[in-house]
Amino acid sequence: MKRRLQALSVLLLLGLVKLPVEQTATATLREARLLTAMPDFGLRDQLGQMSFAAALGGLRSLVASFTYLRAYNAWENVNWAMVDSLFQITTRLQPRYEHYWDEAAWHMAYNAASYYLNDETLNPAVRGKLFHEHIRRGHDILQEGLRVLPEDPRLWNSLAELYERRTYEPARAAECYLKVAEFTGNARFLRFAGYQFAQSADRAFWQRGYDLLRAAYDKNQRPPTLINTLKDLEKKLEVPAERRIPESYVPVPSGAAVPG
Amino acid sequence: MTSYRAFSPARIWTLATATVTQLLRMKILIFLLAFCALVVAAGFAFPVLNPEQQLKLLKDVSFGALQVFSLVIAIVATALLLPRDLEDRTLYTILSKPVPRHEYLLGKLLGVLLLIGAGLLLMDLAFSAVLWLREKLLLAQIIQALEAKTPEAVAQLQEIVGKQGLNWGLHLGVLAVFWKAAVVAALALMISCFASSTLFTVVVTFCVVIIGHGQGLIREYFLQGGTLAEPVKKLLSALLAIVTPDLGVFDVVDNVINGEAVGLGAALAMSGTALLYLTGYAVVSHLLFVEKEL
Repeated sequence: MKRRLQALSVLLLLGLVKLPVEQTATATLREARLLTAMPDFGLRDQLGQMSFAAALGGLRSLVASFTYLRAYNAWENVNWAMVDSLFQITTRLQPRYEHYWDEAAWHMAYNAASYYLNDETLNPAVRGKLFHEHIRRGHDILQEGLRVLPEDPRLWNSLAELYERRTYEPARAAECYLKVAEFTGNARFLRFAGYQFAQSADRAFWQRGYDLLRAAYDKNQRPPTLINTLKDLEKKLEVPAERRIPESYVPVPSGAAVPG
Repeated sequence: MTSYRAFSPARIWTLATATVTQLLRMKILIFLLAFCALVVAAGFAFPVLNPEQQLKLLKDVSFGALQVFSLVIAIVATALLLPRDLEDRTLYTILSKPVPRHEYLLGKLLGVLLLIGAGLLLMDLAFSAVLWLREKLLLAQIIQALEAKTPEAVAQLQEIVGKQGLNWGLHLGVLAVFWKAAVVAALALMISCFASSTLFTVVVTFCVVIIGHGQGLIREYFLQGGTLAEPVKKLLSALLAIVTPDLGVFDVVDNVINGEAVGLGAALAMSGTALLYLTGYAVVSHLLFVEKEL
C-alpha cells in the first residue's frame, strides 16, 4: 500500500512538473510552424465522430486528404455546394497547405462561376447572379487563405489572376502581383504589375505602371508586350519625346496568351 | 567469478532482446508487409490528381499507417507482455534469478521500443524509396508534357514538386511518431502493472491516448485564469491535464508533410518532453510492480 501511495505521489508530481514543460514545448513547436491549433469542435458535426477523432488523434493530414478526394468526387459530379463545403473542411483541417486554398478558390471562381454562366436552363438574371456570387466566394476563400499564409506567393498570384481575369480590377491585380514579386524575388511579376497598372483608369496608376516597366526596360527586359505597353503609357502620360524609348510598336503573335 | 551488480545494462539488454523475439513470434511483422503494400498502392493510386497532390496523398497514407502501426504495437504488445509472462511462468523463472524487478520492467520496455524503432526504420526506408521514385517519375512526366521547356519553367516545376518530395524533415517526422509510440508504450506498461486483465490495459490506455491528443485544449483551459466561475470544470480539467500526457506535442507530422523543416530546437523540445514522460512512467511502473503480488 505504501508503494502505491508513493506511485500516486510520483504521478501527481510528474503531472505538475510536466505542465510547464508541455506549455513550453507547444509554444516552441507552434513558433516553428510545426504545430497547428487544435481543430475546433464545429468541425465534429461536419466531419462525423470517427473522422474528427482521427483528426484529433494525429491523422489530421490524412483526414484532410480524404475530404479532398471527396471534394474531387463532388467536382466530377458537378455538385458545387458539396465541393465548397468539403473544401471548407479540408482547409480548416490543414490551413497551412496553400494548395487547398488555391484549388478551393479556383473551383468556385472559375469552374462553378462558368458553369452557372453557361447553364441555359436558368434565367439570365439568375445566371449572372450565380456567376458573380461564385467569383466572390473564390475571392473570399483566397482572402481567408492569405490571413493564414500572408506571405504565400501562390495565393497572391491566384488573387491577382482573379482580379485580372474575373473581376477586371487591374489596379488591385497589380498590387497583388507586386506582393508576388516581393515574396518570390522574380522580376517577371513586376512587369505583370506594370501591365495591370497600365490598364487601370487612373493616371496615378499609369505613372506607377510606367515606372515599373521603364525600370524593367532599363534592365534590358524587353519582350514585345513591354515595348507596346510602354509606348501606350508614354502617349497617355505625355512623356517628352527625348525620354521616350526608341523602339516602335512590335507586332505580337495572335496566339501569345501570356505577356512576357 | 564475476561480482553481482545491482544495475546491469547487460541484463536489461538480454531481457530486451528476449522481448523482441517474444513479440516477433506473435507475427507482428505482418504489419510491415501490409504497410509496404499500402505505400505502393497509395503511390500509384489516383493518377488523375495533380502531381503535388499525388505525392501528398502518398505521404499522408504512409504517415497514417506509420502512426497506426506504432500506436497499436505500443498498446497491444505492451499490454500483452506481463500477462503472457505470468501465463508462461517465464516471469517466475526470471525473477527467481538475481534480476531486480526494475531491470525486468526496463528490459521489457526497451524490447518494445526496439521493435517499434526497427519497424519504423524499415517502413521509413520503404516509404522513402517509393516517394523518391514517384517524385522522379512525376517530374519527368510533367517536364515532358511541358510545351515550352524554359529553364525558368522547369525550375519552378522542380520547386513545386520537390516541396512535396523526399526531404530530411520527413525522417524527423518519423522520429516524432516514434516518440509518441514510446510514451504510449511506457504508459501501457504502467497501467499493466496494476491492471487486472489485458483487456483493461488496452481499453484504459486507448482512452488515455484519445484524451492525450486533446490534452493541450484541457491544459490551456485549466491554465487560463478565473477558477471561481466554474470550479468543478476547472478541477476536472486540472486532474486530466495532470494525469494524461500531451500527445499533441508529437503531432508535427501534418506540417512536416507540407514541407515545414524540423529545426534542432523543435527536435529537442519533442525529445525532452518524451524523455520526461518515459522517466516518470518508468518510475511509477517500478513502484507499482515492486509491490505487485505475483
